[in-house]
Amino acid sequence: MPLRRLLPHYLMIAPFMILFAVFFLYPILSGLYYSFHAWNGVTKPEYLGFANYQKIVLSRDFATAMRNLLTYVAITVPLGVLVALGLALLVDSFVGRWANFFRNAYFMPVVLPAFLAATIWRWIYAPNFGLLNMIIGWFGAQSINFLNDTGTMLYALIAVDVWVSAGFNMIIILAGLKEIPAELYEAARLDGANKRQQIVHITIPMLGPVLFFVVTYGLISAMQVFDKPWLLTGSSFTSYGGRRNALLFPVMDMMGRAFGGVRFGEAAAYGFLLTLAIVLLTAAMFGLRRLKGWA
Amino acid sequence: MTAQFSRISVWTVLKWALALVVTAIALFPIWWMINVVFSLPGEPVSINPRLWPTSIPAGVEKIRLIFTETDYLHAYCISLLYALLTIAGVLLIGSLAAFEFALFEFPGRGLLFGVVMLSLMVPTAVTIIPTYLLTSQLGWLNTMRGLVVPGLASAFGLFMLVQFMRAVPKDMIEAARLDGASHVQIYWHVALPLCRNALVTLAILTFMQTWGNYMWPLIVGTKPAIYTVGQVVGLFNSPLSHQTVDMVMTANLLAAIPPLLFFLIFQRKIVEGIAMSGTKG
Repeated sequence: MPLRRLLPHYLMIAPFMILFAVFFLYPILSGLYYSFHAWNGVTKPEYLGFANYQKIVLSRDFATAMRNLLTYVAITVPLGVLVALGLALLVDSFVGRWANFFRNAYFMPVVLPAFLAATIWRWIYAPNFGLLNMIIGWFGAQSINFLNDTGTMLYALIAVDVWVSAGFNMIIILAGLKEIPAELYEAARLDGANKRQQIVHITIPMLGPVLFFVVTYGLISAMQVFDKPWLLTGSSFTSYGGRRNALLFPVMDMMGRAFGGVRFGEAAAYGFLLTLAIVLLTAAMFGLRRLKGWA
Repeated sequence: MTAQFSRISVWTVLKWALALVVTAIALFPIWWMINVVFSLPGEPVSINPRLWPTSIPAGVEKIRLIFTETDYLHAYCISLLYALLTIAGVLLIGSLAAFEFALFEFPGRGLLFGVVMLSLMVPTAVTIIPTYLLTSQLGWLNTMRGLVVPGLASAFGLFMLVQFMRAVPKDMIEAARLDGASHVQIYWHVALPLCRNALVTLAILTFMQTWGNYMWPLIVGTKPAIYTVGQVVGLFNSPLSHQTVDMVMTANLLAAIPPLLFFLIFQRKIVEGIAMSGTKG
């Protein structure tokens, strides 16, 4: 094809591709470069080799953040998906107007920005004014400082997280439920299968690909959790992570090193380390999928 | 027969009870936020537990105060502008590219589209710091440009629009071409109107995302003149803030109104858009 015929095509994709190259491809490459340098954003970058990576891995904050992240991910992802699956099955068991009503009600928290969910819950958890402590008070129990007690902080975050994300996953699972052919249930009913058996032997296996997506996507976003713990702990770039760093997570640690410590090279290296962890985990998920023969 | 009947009704009662309890858990925090705003400030929780709104005038007064005594209104306008400009840019730039990727053959098409789709797998954690550094080098910190432009090449948006553009019949494009329509005219008069649904869905999802974006404005906008609603809400909540719970909750409520309103109007589109990203992704 002559260039004159092709030119319009390239002109039409040019705005997207140029912005994509400048604000996505270039940052990744420059980030890789910075990750091997000491840089405060002003003076000339100074080559360090792998020193940034080494410094991060050996730092105490990194160990704390990773430990918190591991507990958080291990609880919040399975719990969130289970709750979402339960909600989807519950909504699916209603028909018509009520199915719509419950679906919308459960989805409502997703509509709120994450920063808002975190700030509302910060007050629900508050020691004096908070709703939760008021309810605890009715039962005569001692008030709990949920967001300042290292024993409860992580679980307080997980509760907010499930509250926000369950509705999102529910919608995706509901869409998956709709794609399961009705004949399958019909056949199972004729064979005398009860509701529970139908769910275990038809619904869950048929939802395989959807559940895989929900879990994988949930893992990837949970590993980058930022807004919620940041706001629940009232963090700023100079002081973050909450009491005894009980709500310190990798992205928070990275942002702190960049904007609190003005060590951009180190922060860039942190991003790559975290991405490596995410890529490995995602690869493991896909490997597991192939092994088990889902989808 | 009776046993069968009673078993079904027990199950039905339990199901309804569960559904209603979950509804309460999902909605109560939002309801509570409204009640805190619409109650007299300073009333102790033991007297007024904020289970329902008790004083409408007090709420109105709080809203008036927050708009007149703080910079909240300014932040609100910044957030709206940020969202609107992002929507306009994402739709225009994305649909131009999607039109080509979905409907035409040209050298490099598969490779370019593949690279963009691959970027969907790259976590934000790795790009945010270098993108900030680039924005800073361009001198775009504390500007609307800095907020909007880096987010315009949305790979998710392109993916979604390409899915819809593929459904545009090739015959219609050929017919338009025979009628003498130019490439751009075909895009504008044939392809775009046929994708109106997808564009509306993408606009809504982009609005939700931009209005709720906390991290990017936090690092790009360091001066109060460019603060977004998210940042102001965050500052009101910070331990050093002098704001009372009444002011904080009023700020929260006002920040919640646009997305809630959008959801009530466009609930079907939002739900479909999210379901699509999951099942076709």
